[in-house]
Amino acid sequence: MMLKIDNLHASIHGNEILKGLSLEVNAGEVHAIMGPNGSGKSTLAQVIAGHEDYEVTAGSVTYKGSNLLDLAPEERAREGVFLGFQYPVEIPGVNNTYLLKAALNAKRKYQGLPEIDAFEFLKRIREKMQMMEMDPSFLNRGVNEGFSGGEKKRNEILQMALLEPELAVLDETDSGLDIDALKVVAAGVNALRSPERAIILVTHYQRLLDYIEPDFVHVLSAGRIIHSGDKTLAHELEARGYDWVREAAGS
Amino acid sequence: MSEAFKSAEALQRAVGQLPAGALATTRRKAAESFSQRGFPTTRQEDWRYTSLARVATIGENWLQSERAQQGEWPAPASEALHDIMAEIDATWIVLANGRVQFDASAAAEDGVSIQRISEHATAAQELRTDSPLEALNAALLHDGIVIRVARDVIARRPIGLLFFDDSDGENSFSQARLLVEAGEDSKLELVELHYSQGAAAQASNVVSQFDLKTNSRICVTRIVDRAATHLHTGKVAVTVGQDAKFRYAGFDLGGALIRNDIEVTLAEPGAAVELNGLYLASGKQHIDNHTRVDHRVGPSTSSEEYRGLLTGESKCVFNGKAIVHAGADGSDAQQANHNMLLSDRAEIDTKPELEIYADEVKCSHGATVGQLDQTALFYLRSRGLDRQTAMRILTRAFATKIVDSAPVAAARDYLGLRTEARLAEIVSGEPE
Repeated sequence: MMLKIDNLHASIHGNEILKGLSLEVNAGEVHAIMGPNGSGKSTLAQVIAGHEDYEVTAGSVTYKGSNLLDLAPEERAREGVFLGFQYPVEIPGVNNTYLLKAALNAKRKYQGLPEIDAFEFLKRIREKMQMMEMDPSFLNRGVNEGFSGGEKKRNEILQMALLEPELAVLDETDSGLDIDALKVVAAGVNALRSPERAIILVTHYQRLLDYIEPDFVHVLSAGRIIHSGDKTLAHELEARGYDWVREAAGS
Repeated sequence: MSEAFKSAEALQRAVGQLPAGALATTRRKAAESFSQRGFPTTRQEDWRYTSLARVATIGENWLQSERAQQGEWPAPASEALHDIMAEIDATWIVLANGRVQFDASAAAEDGVSIQRISEHATAAQELRTDSPLEALNAALLHDGIVIRVARDVIARRPIGLLFFDDSDGENSFSQARLLVEAGEDSKLELVELHYSQGAAAQASNVVSQFDLKTNSRICVTRIVDRAATHLHTGKVAVTVGQDAKFRYAGFDLGGALIRNDIEVTLAEPGAAVELNGLYLASGKQHIDNHTRVDHRVGPSTSSEEYRGLLTGESKCVFNGKAIVHAGADGSDAQQANHNMLLSDRAEIDTKPELEIYADEVKCSHGATVGQLDQTALFYLRSRGLDRQTAMRILTRAFATKIVDSAPVAAARDYLGLRTEARLAEIVSGEPE
């Protein structure tokens, strides 16, 4: 099993957000986690990536057989965990090429590989940028600096495509995207689907799931997964809202 | 406000030991002037946050020392200096422990003259003695450098001035003076590198005067990168003529105490100045930048941006004054000071001051104090970069605007490397 989350409780600044969340994800699977605002979706994503503001008070997260919570964020990344941010950070003064190369080389170093050759790097990055329909001038711009919402999300997927994670958690990757951008982003994600890789899509809307078909859909409410199903559940949620699931779970 | 100098007699004797010649009269008058005023104290508004007590102690000890009283002070030669000079392609002049070392014949470029102040016909009369530190500098000045760029001359090669102090087993207090004049339609690039070594206490007191004639350009990159225990006070006094432009970037990297006073007078219409600065402070470093721009006539332009990164228990001061005098209509004065505190024990006192007495003026100023962006830090770490690397990237991103703006291209690589090394030290929490 790639990821096993068991009875996870997590708080931020003393407020408990996750209240006994359990989830199992195998390699090759795509899971969608849906839920109303404030249900803890982003918290789950941040905790998996290792954000230090969140305190895990109970439960466990096991990744490839080891305790994920023991690892610093950078160690998780090098072990193959990737978080696509809901709000990618603008970092003026650091250009995209620099970050992409540094990130790739950090992982390669960890794997005992030499730094990537400059020519090979450019070849790879151009390929991925073409897939994401990104302008080459982007490489010389500051990280996410002045990017539109859509450009930022494409950049997240570009980073993911380059880093080839084993477990990708994509937090609201569809938010702020028009339909064309959504299709490009979805195509980028689909291109990465493979039997060795697991993807967790955290999303508020079913829209993204029209383009990235999940194997499982989970409903997160008040910090716990209260209902799981296959892709048809997403349509049902879209049509009927969340209340019926909550009522069913409560009864 | 100020207090008479306690060691006036020792000062007089030390002045008497310096070589006679053109500077003798200037020295004597300056010594009198300083003796009446003494070192500035924290009771004076401009010195409120910066105590010169340590400089005064070193100065007084130095004046009582045998070396000062005998006028003897062998200038050191150091291999390390050659390595530094090799890093920046420039015509180098060394001022070692306040002693001028250069071979005038080797330095020559058509239209650019470099002379000792003592050998120049009028330079000794041009020494500023306005402030006590300038007066003290003039009083104890062994010699200095005069650079004149003739009319219409575009100097091909930057001039590098290496201010080097070696406190070789004995406390020392050194004075250095630089006078630069750019003739009409001329252009000059200049690098000032302030460097020191040695375990004993050392204070350097440097004055640089720049005079820009009509439509001339002077670019200065000034790097203060002294030994961790050494002190530095520096004055940069600039007069900018019609349509002339002074471009300056100052980098404060090393030294227990650094105080820079930059004073620019925009004297004629079309005069412009660009002042940028970066200070990187760790441990118990104290770095104070006071700048003052006087817009005497309009339209004249000043733009200024200082950035500071502070960690440990360091303390920094930024005071930027811009005065748009009556009649300087149509002037433009922009100023910004941004600070990043990496430690909650570090302290910054920042004060922009704008005084406007003219019409149709565009002015702005702003100061910010922030911390490292934790969200950005997490973002970089989530991409596999370790914490220190991520911090280095973010601090460099903060500093890069000033480094990239450094006006002398020949010094940029060296500056980039030194800044990078200093940021690595700051981020690792280990000063020096």
